[in-house]
Amino acid sequence: MSSTATLGSNNRTIIAAAVVLAALAFSFLPPRLIVYDNLYGFFMWMETTWFGVIGQTWGAVFAIVEAFHLLAMALLGGAVFVSDFRLLGLVFNDIPAQDVLDKAHSVFKWALAVVLFTGIFMACGVAGKIYFLAVFWYKMLALVTGILFVFFVKRPLLKKDLNDINPWVIKLVAVSSIMVWVTVAAAGRWIGFSG
Amino acid sequence: MNELLYNFAVWLDTHQLSTSIHESYYMYNWIESTHVLTLMLCLGMLFLIDLRMLGYAMTNVPATTIAKRLNLPMLIGFSIMVITGLTLVYAVPVRSTQSIWLRVKMVLLIAAAINAFLFHKNLTNSDGSWDADVRAPKNLRIGAILSLVFWGLIVIFGRFIAYDWFDCQYTDPGLSQFLSGCVAGQTQF
Repeated sequence: MSSTATLGSNNRTIIAAAVVLAALAFSFLPPRLIVYDNLYGFFMWMETTWFGVIGQTWGAVFAIVEAFHLLAMALLGGAVFVSDFRLLGLVFNDIPAQDVLDKAHSVFKWALAVVLFTGIFMACGVAGKIYFLAVFWYKMLALVTGILFVFFVKRPLLKKDLNDINPWVIKLVAVSSIMVWVTVAAAGRWIGFSG
Repeated sequence: MNELLYNFAVWLDTHQLSTSIHESYYMYNWIESTHVLTLMLCLGMLFLIDLRMLGYAMTNVPATTIAKRLNLPMLIGFSIMVITGLTLVYAVPVRSTQSIWLRVKMVLLIAAAINAFLFHKNLTNSDGSWDADVRAPKNLRIGAILSLVFWGLIVIFGRFIAYDWFDCQYTDPGLSQFLSGCVAGQTQF
């Protein structure tokens, strides 16, 4: 029996929710320390990569990449807000929701790619610092949750005819999406205040 | 002019509220976080409007509809950014007014404001026959490109404010001190 048949049409959503819950549970249980200790070597290696060396050597390059990270986050936020505001009925009510959601999602994917690339560059430059910051790990948890939420919960759900979905579920998805991505951005900003 | 600004900043620095915000770890950082987070609302909307004009985003939504509907959330975000930005300057007045990056940022903000005014004027004056087209007319596309450039630089220079490369106490008299508006013999930084 395939997983699709076992879990029904919402299999991706259920698997994503299970992964997020498992990650959350794992992050609060003692076994996480084994993984955490083993990751130290990886973070030290990150500092020795080209990105790490450039980030540590040229402060101006690091600052410019930081700014592009912010710009990409702004664009990502724009895409998230537009699609979620449409789901909440705040903007573009006279335009089919799928049209707004599909186009906003294309922007979201590009913005996310830049956020991830610049984020990896910055992480390499300060790997030895962020490894010890709890807020960095919270951000990573929020980021993974956000990505899984978008690709395995929000998109599959909203590809269906929205008239067939309970309006409160749609609103819940929109509010959850905004909360997850604002958490990602806020946690990211607090990395700069810590350590 | 620089001396006047310096004296004004020193006066602001004597305010208990300025000191309290500056010395409160959570208050200062939350104000700064709010300033940065509202980028997602303000610039997020602005970028979508600009990219729509250039034909790179939301092309299935009429261009003027995008510009008009996203204006309100953009302005709400912008208002919060202005309030939190002024509060951040108030919390660290001397260093902020003598930041070369903040000065460049202010010039760029004025340029962005003029560009936004002209963009809206051109948008209002256009006949709207192009509304469903993938790309807006040339004058609006130029406005959109300038907007992206100005705001991109504003964010870059805004980020630079956090760095002390050209702070008055770390530089020798010369061009950078001149541009930063450092005052000879100043005692506060």
